[in-house]
Amino acid sequence: MSGTALRETAPRERRPAVGAAGYAVARGRGASFLLHRRSALVAAVLTAALLGACLASLCLGTSAVSPGAALRAAFGLDSSAEFVVGTLRLPRMTLGLLVGAALGVAGALIQSVARNPLASPDIIGVTHGAAALTVGAMTYGAVSTAVLPYWSVAGGLAAAGLVYVFAWRGGLHAARFVLIGIGFAIALRSVTQLFLTKGDYQVAQQATVWMTGSLNGRGNAEAEPLAIGLLLLLPAVVWAARAQRSVVLDDDTATALGIRLARTRLGLATVGVLLAALATGAAGPVDFVALLAPQIARRLTGTAQIPLVCSALTGAFITVLADVAARTLFSPTELPVGVVTAAVGAPYLLWLIVANRTGGRA
Amino acid sequence: MPAAAPPSPAVQRAVRAPSGGGAVRRSALLAAATAAVALAALLSLALGSRSLAPGEVWQALIGQGEGAAAKVVRELRVPRTVIGLMVGAALGMAGAVMQGLTRNPIAEPGLLGVSQGASVGVVLAIAFAGAHSLDAYVWYALAGAALAGVGVYAVASRGRGGASPVKLALSGAAVNALLASVTAGVLTTRATTLEQFRFWQIGSLSGRDASIAADIWPFLLGGTLLVIAAARGLDALALGDDVARGLGQNVALVRVTGGLGAVVLAGAAVAAAGPIAFVGLTVPHLARGLVGGGHRWLLPMSALLGAVMLLVADVVARLVFPPSEVPSGVMTALIGVPFLVVLVRRSGVRS
Repeated sequence: MSGTALRETAPRERRPAVGAAGYAVARGRGASFLLHRRSALVAAVLTAALLGACLASLCLGTSAVSPGAALRAAFGLDSSAEFVVGTLRLPRMTLGLLVGAALGVAGALIQSVARNPLASPDIIGVTHGAAALTVGAMTYGAVSTAVLPYWSVAGGLAAAGLVYVFAWRGGLHAARFVLIGIGFAIALRSVTQLFLTKGDYQVAQQATVWMTGSLNGRGNAEAEPLAIGLLLLLPAVVWAARAQRSVVLDDDTATALGIRLARTRLGLATVGVLLAALATGAAGPVDFVALLAPQIARRLTGTAQIPLVCSALTGAFITVLADVAARTLFSPTELPVGVVTAAVGAPYLLWLIVANRTGGRA
Repeated sequence: MPAAAPPSPAVQRAVRAPSGGGAVRRSALLAAATAAVALAALLSLALGSRSLAPGEVWQALIGQGEGAAAKVVRELRVPRTVIGLMVGAALGMAGAVMQGLTRNPIAEPGLLGVSQGASVGVVLAIAFAGAHSLDAYVWYALAGAALAGVGVYAVASRGRGGASPVKLALSGAAVNALLASVTAGVLTTRATTLEQFRFWQIGSLSGRDASIAADIWPFLLGGTLLVIAAARGLDALALGDDVARGLGQNVALVRVTGGLGAVVLAGAAVAAAGPIAFVGLTVPHLARGLVGGGHRWLLPMSALLGAVMLLVADVVARLVFPPSEVPSGVMTALIGVPFLVVLVRRSGVRS
């Protein structure tokens, strides 16, 4: 039973792209040690880049603040830039960090379950489900931001469940899964549109901005429930990081080792969907971060398995940086951050298709 | 060897459709479909938040009726019905041609980004070129539709395996996302555009006035002539590029003629009624089931069924939540997705 799931999508992953062929072939202790070192190095570099992006996020905007003053204000040592940095930019940056990290991990988990970079939550309808229910809740009265995350999580889970059920046919063929996911994404988008035309103009404006994924005017009110949700999910993510290793095995090996692949996969995918839906509830659908971050992280570390920590760091880096771009590119007008991530991510997806990393078949 | 994908099961089935002796049956089916269009049009004229008796509708149509009922029919429902007929027929034919050209059962203006391309053209025209009426932005819509369609197909046909359903759908999804982000960027930075665009965007037949029909019919006529000209070539193309060439068809010419026709039809339809998804996907499959895969029968049947589907969707949309209305684009999407699921599960996609 569990052995048949996803067999058709048997791993077509390349060997670790460590460059030298020797690394990929050697499977001894030395090699795994080397890979670890590289991952650690990448994580350190990513952390540094992330800190840089955070600093830029605190400094740049309609009124520029010097890095020193920004840092002092962020730690409450300087009151001159207190409002701009402490009240406006710090909460927004925090939210960007959390959203990006959650999306990065969500993408990493779902992609490693599906063994396909395209099965990211924004392609298979998870974020659209979250968006549809959330906009519905906005339109029909539940305007309190405290309630919205619940609707997002419910919507994301429902969408993922539906796509899973309809794509299941004696196994999960990746092509079928992606096609049906795209179909549901379109249907859910038009449901969202339906709610938009039902609402009055103000709700429509608010929901339109929400739907593109924006950090503008958001901060602690959204970051707090997200942070709580992420903390609650942390044990699950730690479990996922361990369980993820078994998913890279092919079905026969895993079965021989006594690993229940189907259950592990379901668990991993559920954690991924929950993370994506939580992030969507906080910031709206920030498209393509969940697709991009794990791919970039994996290329950087050169591991066969998608690295979770590096995916989180990359996701946070992309989101914070995209937010800086969104607010400075057309200053004083702000773009939603989702517009920037989609403008970067969609061409990447097109490139993936052209370069034929899509699993190729079907 | 050209990188032609082998004919999909749907097309293979289509090609195997009965050839001789079916002409009478097919003519009868076409007549039945025409009757269905007339019935749907009548329903569209009579039903709504204020329902009218057929007699009242007839009175109003021949210009004898007086009062509010006649006014409702003449000023609101006639334009809406006419536009529904035109747009539905255009989308049905565009879908049939795109499925024939790409030899791909899921090709459709919505999935392939053609509709979204037309949308972006309209948004840019409203926001930056100061276009406020259809005759001003229809050209932008056509240009956007053409660029998006060609782009999606070009990306999908690169690489191993040619333009398979999954690659086509994925590049469509990517281009859709990219274009949607352009639209969203424009709309969030320009609030005035949003209000004008909001109702157009969703694909609705309501509130479109009669001048729209007058503006788009030349485009629809032109597109129809182009796809009719390509019909014979499309039949040959279903057998594969090599066979088509062997049969004496100029494959490139067929592609250009048919593609241009489909883009003009889809682009003009989107300019008139907003992006209405899944009519172009659903209708050709139903039509193929009825009259087989020969395009000289398939195209008129798709046009008729497309008109029926859109009008019925619009009437249902009008009746579901009176007095406010569900846009017909939402209805067609909700009808179309189960159809897509069945199609994909059954035969559409296999490695």
